[in-house]
Amino acid sequence: MCTIGFLVNPFAGMGGAVGLKGTDGMVEAALARGAVPRAPGRAAETILQVADIGAHFITCSGVMGEDILAGAGIPGYEVVYRPASETTGAADTMAACRAFLDRDADLILFCGGDGTARDVYSVIGDLVPMLGIPAGVKMYSAVFAIHPRAAAGIVREGCTPGGKFLLRDAEVVDVDEEAYREGSLRTRLFGIAKSPYRPGLVQGTKQVFEDSDEERAKKDIARFMREVIEGTPGILYILGPGSTTAAIGEEIGLKKTLLGFDAVKGGRLIATDLNEEGLLGLLEEGTSARLVISIIGAQGSVLGRGTQQVSPAVLRRIGRENVIIVATPHKLAETPMVFVDSGDRDMDLAFGDHLSVVSGYRIAQRKRIGRVEGPERTSQVGGE
Amino acid sequence: MHTKIVLDEDHMPKKWYNILPDLPTPLDPPLHPATGKPLVPEDLTPIFPMELILQEMSQKRTIDIPSDVQDVLRLWRPSPLYRAHRLEKYLKTPAHIYYKYEGVSPPGSHKPNTAVPQAYYNMKAGTERIATETGAGQWGSALAFATQIFGLECTIYMVRSSYMQKPYRKSMMQVWGAECIPSPSTKTKAGTAVLQKDPETTGSLGIAISEAVEDAATHGNTNYSLGSVLNHVCLHQTVVGLECMEQLASVEDYPDVVIGCVGGGSNFAGISFPFAGEKLKGKHKETEIIAVEPASCPTLTKGLFAYDYGDVAGLTPLLKMFTLGHDFVPPSIHAGGLRYHGDNPTISRLVYDGVMKAVSYHQSEVFDAAQTFARTEGIIVAPETSHAVRATIDEALKCKKSGEAKTLLFNCSGHGNFDMSAYDAFYANQLVDYEYPEQLIRESLARLPKIPGA
Ligand SMILES: Cc1ncc(COP(=O)(O)O)c(C=O)c1O
Repeated sequence: MCTIGFLVNPFAGMGGAVGLKGTDGMVEAALARGAVPRAPGRAAETILQVADIGAHFITCSGVMGEDILAGAGIPGYEVVYRPASETTGAADTMAACRAFLDRDADLILFCGGDGTARDVYSVIGDLVPMLGIPAGVKMYSAVFAIHPRAAAGIVREGCTPGGKFLLRDAEVVDVDEEAYREGSLRTRLFGIAKSPYRPGLVQGTKQVFEDSDEERAKKDIARFMREVIEGTPGILYILGPGSTTAAIGEEIGLKKTLLGFDAVKGGRLIATDLNEEGLLGLLEEGTSARLVISIIGAQGSVLGRGTQQVSPAVLRRIGRENVIIVATPHKLAETPMVFVDSGDRDMDLAFGDHLSVVSGYRIAQRKRIGRVEGPERTSQVGGE
Repeated sequence: MHTKIVLDEDHMPKKWYNILPDLPTPLDPPLHPATGKPLVPEDLTPIFPMELILQEMSQKRTIDIPSDVQDVLRLWRPSPLYRAHRLEKYLKTPAHIYYKYEGVSPPGSHKPNTAVPQAYYNMKAGTERIATETGAGQWGSALAFATQIFGLECTIYMVRSSYMQKPYRKSMMQVWGAECIPSPSTKTKAGTAVLQKDPETTGSLGIAISEAVEDAATHGNTNYSLGSVLNHVCLHQTVVGLECMEQLASVEDYPDVVIGCVGGGSNFAGISFPFAGEKLKGKHKETEIIAVEPASCPTLTKGLFAYDYGDVAGLTPLLKMFTLGHDFVPPSIHAGGLRYHGDNPTISRLVYDGVMKAVSYHQSEVFDAAQTFARTEGIIVAPETSHAVRATIDEALKCKKSGEAKTLLFNCSGHGNFDMSAYDAFYANQLVDYEYPEQLIRESLARLPKIPGA
């Protein structure tokens, strides 16, 4: 039988309605502004649809899970963590996850936003697959299903007898909420989780015979990029964060950091985990360099988000034409549009209307660039 | 004003037009894959009947169509030439748009124009079985139809992605008595090698060609047949352009622009060679001839003009042509028949010499045009054909801007009645706009060994 660790961050998504853009550390303020918790309703939408699959649920007491399982009539669930106060927080999420780990959960199903995803990931890493029921204000992380019902579909597929979770790498993105509330989006890749998915939902059309294996797609991209890198020994390559770029490092036989910007030249790793200063230091006048980055998280964002180290100054030194973007067909199928947000308007515009994204061995895909204008830009891609 | 310009049966061409003697630059000879020396006819006898080998290299300007072949072609030829009044009106263009509809043949495309003579010459030479490959299934079904008429057996290696996408093409081949095998297969060494490297490959035309060639070369009673790329195939397709010429003359018109989609080049050659011949002879010097290809497999627009193999395994002769490299496996676009790394050597030469030009489009752009065409003219075209439709519409829109009443002619090479899954994907917004990352690919090839003769 399949054991599911289920938890709800009851306050996730509450800030949005009252204009707070995120609720981390702001629960009291949100409640004071009259916000109503919405995560429980979203979580219930998922749970009602998996009530009959015979999975074993382990959860937290009260609003953090039990109330919803009881409401849905889930038989035999078990409470393995009890928060001390009704106003639950990050510490409770993490403690619950540790309890789930102790009980050998097969899946952590959580309801919340990016903050919740980060808290879950910080405990479970990639040891246990995690799947998010979207309820937060921001959901840039790729561990979220597109809808509570889609989450239910994924759980059903993996948990019914004879079923199996298909897993893939999913970025957990950390958003600086302070800055976000001030109207600027600064994100960083926090980690790479394992997340279940349904190929049918990801793959585009059934009629097109596509490969369902994302790992294989990464290898194809990596094989191609290795040939490019080897064919241009005079160029300095800066490989950005993420598992697709990490696969390129692996293909060349280098130990690339998963979350950092590393520099490669002539087949050797010459610097790892570079910050803005480090990057500028490498990019002296006359250095011919290329930046290889992937699309990070679930919203199709390129540059800026998840890549703070690449400041406009760094980008100008590298030059738009030297930015190579890579992403698997699976990721691209979920990303109808990409958003370029380098922090520099002119640079963003230099990318034009379309982006060519390397998606396989000698194959690229053309993606439309979505334009997010003016001060409301965050709300348009904010996913709420 | 006519909508449909039809020729009487006795106006069906009795000779094919061979463009080779009219070329401004003679073709570079095909080379033997092992020795790198120019081919002699005997090199090809294990897989082709002599009559086709002689046609491949012939310098005669016209070649008679055997009367037994004419009898079969008469089942659907001459094909109608349409004036696209409704499309013109919809686009509000002063251009005159004509299209030659090859979808009226039993298999639904231009392919039987060459399948029939190829089956015939093989039958005459005593061949018992023919092996071939098929991309979208159009060629396979055409050859199945033709071999059945002349009493030959037929084995078809069908690119795996198409085999999955288009089950009804496979059913048609069965009705016409042919055996259809998904490629790569374990029936051949070439297929087995690819599967070992990559069990989940979607296959490609290049791989399927390797399998069919190997099948023919290793079985005494079996010949190989190719549905495109080679000069004799393009020769057989010239009935299309020859008919157009007469049909247009009957309404006192002549094309300013001739357009066709290009996979290996046969339907494009078919409609354009007779007009290119006039251009080369200095009669209609201004005729523009436009080849249309997918952005994901842009052989003529982004390839190299060089000697390369026709297949993945390197079994075929080396042909001087535009190529993306014989090991390039194009992405699985819906226009399966355009997924080929090379192009007919004559078309390649004519593009290289500037007699013809090439353009490329993304998938979503061409289906958009196909929808417009279906909603004005009625015909739901094959995904391959939609490329020609797109280019024609763009030319017509240019005319609208400039106010020129140009005469546009395109080859409507086939219907899409078995390609509805592609249209479904279009409506579901699921068409992926694949591209060919040209510069990166050039750099990635910098360190690879060169093929002989290149
Ligand atoms: C309808 C149709 N048009 C065009 C093509 C492309 O082939 P070619 O370039 O040989 O005409 C195909 C190939 O399968 C086809 O089926």
